[in-house]
Amino acid sequence: MATSLGANRYNRQNWEDSDFPILCQTCLGDNPYIRMTKETYGKECKICDRPFTVFRWCPGARMRFKKTEVCQTCSKLKNICQTCLLDLEYGLPVQTRDEALAIKDDIPKSDVNKEYYTQNMERQIANTDGTVAVGAVGKAQAPSDMLVRMARTTPYYKRNRPHICSFWVKGECKRGEECPYRHEKPTDPDDPLSDQNIKDRYYGINDPVANKLMRRATEAMEQEAVAPPEDRTITTLYIGGLTESIAEEDLRDQFYQYGEIRSIHMATNQNYAFVQFTKRIDAETAAKRTAGRLMIKGKRIVVRWGKSQGSSKKDAEKGEKSGSSSFKPVPGLPGALPLPSDVARGNFRNFNFMEPPPPGTIPMPRQMNQPPRMPPPPPPMHMMPPPGFQGMQGPGPRMQVHYPSQDPQRMGTNM
Amino acid sequence: MPRVRRSRKPPPDGWELIEPTLDELDQKMREAESESHDGKRKVETLWPIFKLHHQKSRYIYDLFYRRKAISRELYEFCLKEAIADKNLIAKWKKQGYENLCCLRCIQARDTNFGTNCICRVPKSKLEAGKVVECVHCGCRGCSG
Repeated sequence: MATSLGANRYNRQNWEDSDFPILCQTCLGDNPYIRMTKETYGKECKICDRPFTVFRWCPGARMRFKKTEVCQTCSKLKNICQTCLLDLEYGLPVQTRDEALAIKDDIPKSDVNKEYYTQNMERQIANTDGTVAVGAVGKAQAPSDMLVRMARTTPYYKRNRPHICSFWVKGECKRGEECPYRHEKPTDPDDPLSDQNIKDRYYGINDPVANKLMRRATEAMEQEAVAPPEDRTITTLYIGGLTESIAEEDLRDQFYQYGEIRSIHMATNQNYAFVQFTKRIDAETAAKRTAGRLMIKGKRIVVRWGKSQGSSKKDAEKGEKSGSSSFKPVPGLPGALPLPSDVARGNFRNFNFMEPPPPGTIPMPRQMNQPPRMPPPPPPMHMMPPPGFQGMQGPGPRMQVHYPSQDPQRMGTNM
Repeated sequence: MPRVRRSRKPPPDGWELIEPTLDELDQKMREAESESHDGKRKVETLWPIFKLHHQKSRYIYDLFYRRKAISRELYEFCLKEAIADKNLIAKWKKQGYENLCCLRCIQARDTNFGTNCICRVPKSKLEAGKVVECVHCGCRGCSG
C-alpha cells in the first residue's frame, strides 16, 4: 500500500506528481481554451491504488466535468487515456486492441505483485524517452487490418454528456429545467453493455463493449467478403475510398495478381474505381482476399462487388421492351383471345386501314363501310399459347383467367 | 430568540411603521431556520436564509433610497442594529450591482478560477434557454 508521502523506506511506493494529464481527444473536448484544475495526490489510482495527481476539467458546453481516473504509470503501461481507458492511438477498448494486435501481457492483479510490477515498470518508463509505449504494447506488431477498421478516427463527444438523472428515472427529480443531468430513458439494465467496471476494462477481460466491437467487426468482414452477387456475369469490383495520390497503375499492380484484368475505370474526382476481371473466379478471389483489408499507400480501401454497369435499370427496361420471347409462359392463359365485341363489329377507333374517302366525294355513312361480318381474325403468333400448354387448351371455363396485363400486345392500348 | 438590542436608545420616529414588516420577515426567517432539510440537496439548505436576508435589506434600502419613506436617522439605526446588511447595501449603490443577490456570489476568491458566480453572468451572455441556479444562494441571475 502507499504509505505516507514523508515515509522514507527503501521500497516506498512513489506518489505520482505530474504536470499534465495523458488524455485522448474526446475526453479533452472540442474547446481549445480549456481550464483545468490540478490536485496533487488528489485521489487513489483506481488500478494501482497509489495517490496521483488528479486533473479536472469541463470538456465543452453541456458536457459533464471529467477527471483523470488512473495514474500515469498505469496509463503508460497500456497506452490508454487516463480518463476513458481507451487506447490513445485507436480509441478502442484495451481488450479489443490487445486481441487485434495479439498482445498478451499478464499484469499482476494481487497486491504485492502489483506493487513490485509497477515499481519495475516505473523504472523502465524513466529510462525511455516517452515516444514509444512501454510494456507489451510497444513491442506489438504493425496494426492488423481489423484494428484499423475498428479504430475511431474522429472524436466522439457524445461520450462526455452528463449522466442520466437517477432521480428522474425514479420519477422523483424536483429540479426540472435546471437539472444538470440528462432526463432520458436509461438503457435496458439487462443489456450487457450496462455492466462495466474499470478494472476489467483496464486489464482487458470481460469487457462487454470490446466483445460487441469484435463481434460486429467479424460480421462486417464476413459480409463484405462472402457475398458474391447472384448474377454470374458480374466480374466487376467497386473500389472506394481512393485518393488523388492513387493512380490506375497502383490499382493494376494490386489486382493483377488475382487474374487477368479486363479494364479499370477510374473516377478520380469521386474517389472510386471499377476493376473488371475477365473471369468471374478471379473476381471472386480478389474480393475475398482484399475486402476489408486492402491498403494502398497507407490508405484504407473499400472493396465491394460491382453492380455490372446498367444491370440495375437498363436491363430491366430492355427486358420489357424486347417482347414476349423472354416472358415465361403464364399458366392458365387462354389460347386465343376473342376480340372484344367492339372490335368484332369493326368499330375500331383507328380505322386507318381504310382508305380515306377521296376529296369531293360524299363520305358514305359509316354503316355502309362496315366490312362484312367475319370471324375474329386469327390471333397473332405470339399470342399463341405456349407449346407446353397445348393439352390444357380446354380445361373448362374456370381456367379461363385472363388479365390484360399478361398480354404484351395490349399493353397501354385501349381497344 | 428575540433580537438582542444593542443600544438602550429608543428607536427613532417611524419605527412603528416598519416594525410589523420586519417582524413578519423575522418570523419567516425563524421558520426557514427550523425547517427540515429532508429531501433537499446539501447546497439548497441555506438558500431560504440568503433569500430572506436579501429581502430584509432590500426593504430598508427601498424605503430610504427609492421611496424616501423613512428618515436618515431611522435608516442608520437599522444599519447599526444589523436589521439591514450594510455591506450588501453598499454594493447595491454601485453600477451593475443594483440587484446583487448576496455577497458570496461576488467573492471571487472562493472559486477555482477566480471568477464570480454564474448568477452574475448577464442573461444575454449565457446560452439561450439555459436555466441556472447558483449554488450559494439559489439565485437565478441578478445581473440583467
